[in-house]
Amino acid sequence: MIELEHIVKSFHSDRNSSAQAPVFRHWDKQLVCYTKKIVGASTIGGELVRPEESGKFEDTRIPRLQSRGVCQKDKSIHAVNDVSLTINDGDIFGIIGFSGAGKSTLVRCINLLERPDSGSVKIDGVEMMTLKPRELYKARTKIGMIFQQFNLMPSRTVLQNVAYPLRNMTREQIHKKVSELLALVDIPDKENAYPSELSGGQKQRVAIARALANDPTILLCDEATSALDPQTTGSILQLLKDLNKKLGLTIVVITHEMEVVKNICRKAAVMDAGRIIETGDVFEIFSSPQHPVTRNFVRTTSNLSKIETLINDDSPIVKVNPGQVMARLVYVHADVSEPLISYASRAFDIEINIVLADVEIVAGAMIGGTVVIFSGSSERIDKALKYYRDKNIRVEVIKDARITA
Amino acid sequence: MQELLPNLMKRLPEFWKACGDTLLMEVWSGAIIFVLGLIFGIILTVTKPGGIMENRPVYQLLDKIINLFRSIPFIILLTALMPLSRAIMGTAIYVRGVIVPLVFGATPFFARQVESALAQTEKGLVEAALSMGSSPFEVIFRVYLRESLAPIIRAITITIISLLGLTAMAGAVGAGGLGDFAIRYGHDRNMQDITWVVVGVLVAGVSIVQWLGEYFARKNTH
Repeated sequence: MIELEHIVKSFHSDRNSSAQAPVFRHWDKQLVCYTKKIVGASTIGGELVRPEESGKFEDTRIPRLQSRGVCQKDKSIHAVNDVSLTINDGDIFGIIGFSGAGKSTLVRCINLLERPDSGSVKIDGVEMMTLKPRELYKARTKIGMIFQQFNLMPSRTVLQNVAYPLRNMTREQIHKKVSELLALVDIPDKENAYPSELSGGQKQRVAIARALANDPTILLCDEATSALDPQTTGSILQLLKDLNKKLGLTIVVITHEMEVVKNICRKAAVMDAGRIIETGDVFEIFSSPQHPVTRNFVRTTSNLSKIETLINDDSPIVKVNPGQVMARLVYVHADVSEPLISYASRAFDIEINIVLADVEIVAGAMIGGTVVIFSGSSERIDKALKYYRDKNIRVEVIKDARITA
Repeated sequence: MQELLPNLMKRLPEFWKACGDTLLMEVWSGAIIFVLGLIFGIILTVTKPGGIMENRPVYQLLDKIINLFRSIPFIILLTALMPLSRAIMGTAIYVRGVIVPLVFGATPFFARQVESALAQTEKGLVEAALSMGSSPFEVIFRVYLRESLAPIIRAITITIISLLGLTAMAGAVGAGGLGDFAIRYGHDRNMQDITWVVVGVLVAGVSIVQWLGEYFARKNTH
């Protein structure tokens, strides 16, 4: 079990700032006030809403805010800000958010590649923050990690890469262990290849084998599929799913791709500006997102949002004749199995024309909806809408061209 | 031969000795420079801001010292370090006397070369190694040094070659070797054949070092 409590981590110091340090001090006061403005700015609907005097701070100055000097002065700028999270054994847990939300920093706080400024990191009840260096190195061998860029050592063969974390073993033992691991990730014949000879998917498989070398109980995946094409992504995700089942591995997946979360996660947390804004079962997050950022995120993955574009473009597909009603029907419960469209059509004697439909399987349940145009008498359409609402389907009327009496 | 290189043939034993002296200077100072430069280069890499053993005072101090010695012209270093050379080696002339200034002159150069070689190691590799439970020392030996073997070999090549230039200069202040030989006969007594032969030997030396360096660097690139 991974327990994070009140994790706070400021942005790391700007690596090359030492030369600029004196200039900096001069700007400090102003920067702090810029800082506050930026903190005041928030993301609504995915767009950065700047405060009124947005013209006053130029973009070129923003990176300086990430400097430690300013962070110490103004405590409100943090990559990770007061995050608490519990991940149960055997879970596949997703952490999603737009770039810069603090996901990567947060996942590095789990194995202390980034040491939080404050807070507590417990793994199986052991507090990581107070471990001595030697104990920490040992603890890290039980937390595997894979990366977007694979990070295989180019001067070593696949065999040597996977053998890197193995210690105190004879040559035969190492060879046996590596063979097992490569068989597990399904590339048994690549032992003597160099990473430069492998495809992206193969590289990530080697990286997974290497991460599993010391039989860890946890696997951290930092954007592990973001550099791969969709098909390879699918196969890697399938592999992770299998490993989770076969080894009981707890997997933490960091990603900005909703597809990944939909595909393999059971639980997820949504991050924005260093905070966790929503957490829960993946199905719930997708079917009824609470926070605007989450809603925005979910919307980007659904075809149903295309309707707005179509309406804006005045497409003939979405033309509504007098007497017709266009509505979006969104399934928010996991039990959509009834023939809702054809039933309503027959029961209320109306025409239902499906304009768009997008139904997906998330965490083993159906999710999605349709955009339809109802034609028929006004009362019967009302009855149909009421029927849907009673069935716990979210009904949003987009266009209503009925003649109001 | 006698007709083509009249002056050289008369001084063949002295010529061979000069070659030997140059080689001796190169090997002795080279070995010391290699060890010290590697250590300093590693210290620079790991202590710099964002490094795995970040330590601002150590980095700043070493950085400044290296800059200081790199900015002193070698010919000045040669004479300025004579007292130190006498204290350490017992003499300020001949091969023994020139090791100290050679080390002071070339170590900072090599340390910078090592630093830039190690900087080519991807940060992700270091991060991956740390995530697998490697200690900082393991990261130095198993990641930094191993993964940047090819650039380090190239750094060694460049340093050996520039060291060859320095030993020739050291010849001017009594170190012996090919530089001294060329100046005394080739320049001072205008024996052109000696100048040409010395240049030829140095060109051959540089070519061999360069070729070997390239060969081993390529062999270690995958």
